[in-house]
Amino acid sequence: MKDYQATVVKNEEIARGICEITFRLQETAKVRPGQFGAISVGGVHLLRRPIAVCKAEGNEVTFCYQIKGDGTKKLKNVGAGSVLNVLMPLGNGFFVEENEKKVALVGGGVGIFPLVSVVRAYANEKEISSFIGFRNAGAVCALEEFEKSAKFVAVTDDGSFGEKMNSVQAFEKALAEGYRPDVILSCGPTPMLRALKAVAVRENIPCYVSLEERMGCGIGACLVCVCNLTNGARARVCKDGPVFNANEVNL
Amino acid sequence: MANLSVNLCGVSLKNPVIAASGTFGFGREFNELYDIGTIGGVSTKGMTLQPRLGNPVPRIAESRGVILNAVGLQNPGVEHFIAEDLAWLKSTGTCVIANVAGQTLEDYQAICARLDGLVDMIELNISCPNVKSGGMAFGIKPETVEAVTVQAKKGLKKTPLIVKLSPNVENIAVNARAAENGGADCVSLVNTFTGMAIDIEKRRPIIANNTGGVSGAGIKPIAVRMVYEVANAVKIPVIGMGGITCAEDAIEFLMAGATAVQVGTANFTDPYAMPKIISGLNAWCDSHGVASVAELVGTLQMNGK
Ligand SMILES: Cc1cc2nc3c(=O)[nH]c(=O)nc-3n(C[C@H](O)[C@H](O)[C@H](O)COP(=O)(O)OP(=O)(O)OC[C@H]3O[C@@H](n4cnc5c(N)ncnc54)[C@H](O)[C@@H]3O)c2cc1C
Ligand SMILES: Cc1cc2nc3c(=O)[nH]c(=O)nc-3n(C[C@H](O)[C@H](O)[C@H](O)COP(=O)(O)O)c2cc1C
Ligand code: FES
Repeated sequence: MKDYQATVVKNEEIARGICEITFRLQETAKVRPGQFGAISVGGVHLLRRPIAVCKAEGNEVTFCYQIKGDGTKKLKNVGAGSVLNVLMPLGNGFFVEENEKKVALVGGGVGIFPLVSVVRAYANEKEISSFIGFRNAGAVCALEEFEKSAKFVAVTDDGSFGEKMNSVQAFEKALAEGYRPDVILSCGPTPMLRALKAVAVRENIPCYVSLEERMGCGIGACLVCVCNLTNGARARVCKDGPVFNANEVNL
Repeated sequence: MANLSVNLCGVSLKNPVIAASGTFGFGREFNELYDIGTIGGVSTKGMTLQPRLGNPVPRIAESRGVILNAVGLQNPGVEHFIAEDLAWLKSTGTCVIANVAGQTLEDYQAICARLDGLVDMIELNISCPNVKSGGMAFGIKPETVEAVTVQAKKGLKKTPLIVKLSPNVENIAVNARAAENGGADCVSLVNTFTGMAIDIEKRRPIIANNTGGVSGAGIKPIAVRMVYEVANAVKIPVIGMGGITCAEDAIEFLMAGATAVQVGTANFTDPYAMPKIISGLNAWCDSHGVASVAELVGTLQMNGK
């Protein structure tokens, strides 16, 4: 983990309300798939924005973010050549065990972006099947990344691109057709993760989910970002997560 | 190289820059970024006798220039700190300040007694605005500030006591004097200001607890004014905090009468805030011909006087 003075190489809209920003760092950062960075947008914004690392190649690192509130609006206007502080890599990231050959990725909304890093890391050694959901055709992006998986299904909530269903339904459809992964890796809105967990429990397939929570320090010191574990304890999303075994967290 | 060391009621600090409670855990995470032995002190996450789970999430919100938090004193309990973190934190060479809270007067005495002689200083959080009973109640009225100070002192034979004052009060100088009368060795201020931030789409407060403590850059002028008032009301040393972001901010607090300062929210904005403030203090002293940072304390000249 380092606080990089990261130079913006490019920052552009790749789908409606979604931007891709690439930074050049002073060195190659060692990033696990599913880890994130805390981006400083400066000015009156005292908190950094946690964003998943999408791609890390050489000295360059790319994040994709949805324009939501004031901070990401400001980020959208940052031009090439600007320097922002990016604290990274943070969190645990996704781990795939040696014996887990068939990996299902189930992502919804901005939750697809951490999964891009999984495809990039494991496409050669694992059989990856990606089930990716968007709100509508306007939000569709990053397909070229998911096309690197062995099997790839993209759907939308309104049916304007692909079938009209969400990514969990797309995954269930594949299960019904006889598909069975060794492990599921997922990120998306909490209701989606809850539905997926129910499927994983029913089918008895190990399932890991990446959670979102508002953060203070981003490194595990302030206990602002906690989630509830099934054993009654609380864990820090920024440091103990963001990836948790679905059986161990209350969603 | 200016002399940055300061003396706080007999405890000597390498420099006057201390990590504020709740923003720095027990120091381990920030030590992955820099050697925390280089900072003046660490005030730990607020601890209680028994572990606490704290409030539901969201626990934090942002508003221009400030943040709001309502962690609700989540902590692993004082025994866990003594067993797992204390020896390590001491080994870093920083001054160890245990920040403690309780629900009853007896809790305060018991937790102080448990930590007496084990840590360099104890900071009594009588002002945390997030815990429904306890916390707030003690810090509001001068009578209860004095009573809780007296009771905490009963548990202490060796370790100096800092009483951390709430700014959500009628007259903070009166409460500072109450702490001094109760036997406090030092006072620190300010804790957070109670506030609210609203999500207008949902028509609900952002923070699950509804209200949260406001901290960060935007509160600094209020905190400086309060530190000035308190420093002029008591004889014991004062630790100032509230929105400190850079060395110049820290110098304002020193001039207003603080012997040392704490830095909280700035650690979130820039995890290297404290080392930068320390080197900035040194540079400022050098460029202004100040041999020792302690010379700055209370040197404010009021206009018209
Ligand atoms: C580990 C992690 C990875 C993430 N990865 C991505 C990603 O790859 N792409 C993407 O578009 N979004 C991602 N998010 C969500 C992203 O952090 C928020 O959308 C963003 O912080 C909103 O900032 P804002 O300034 O637009 O909103 P504002 O409402 O102005 O933000 C105010 C404060 O609330 C925080 N906040 C608001 N919404 C969220 C949220 N959903 N999660 C966490 N903090 C929030 C902000 O960080 C800021 O501190 C991720 C969140 C986490 C925790
Ligand atoms: C996330 C967070 C948690 C805090 N927890 C505590 C605590 O446990 N005990 C305490 O005395 N103060 C606590 N505080 C208050 C700070 O120590 C400090 O008094 C306040 O934030 C003002 O300083 P700042 O503006 O530099 O942050 C907390 C503040 C924040 C932001
Ligand atoms: S954000 Fe501080 S502990 Fe997670």
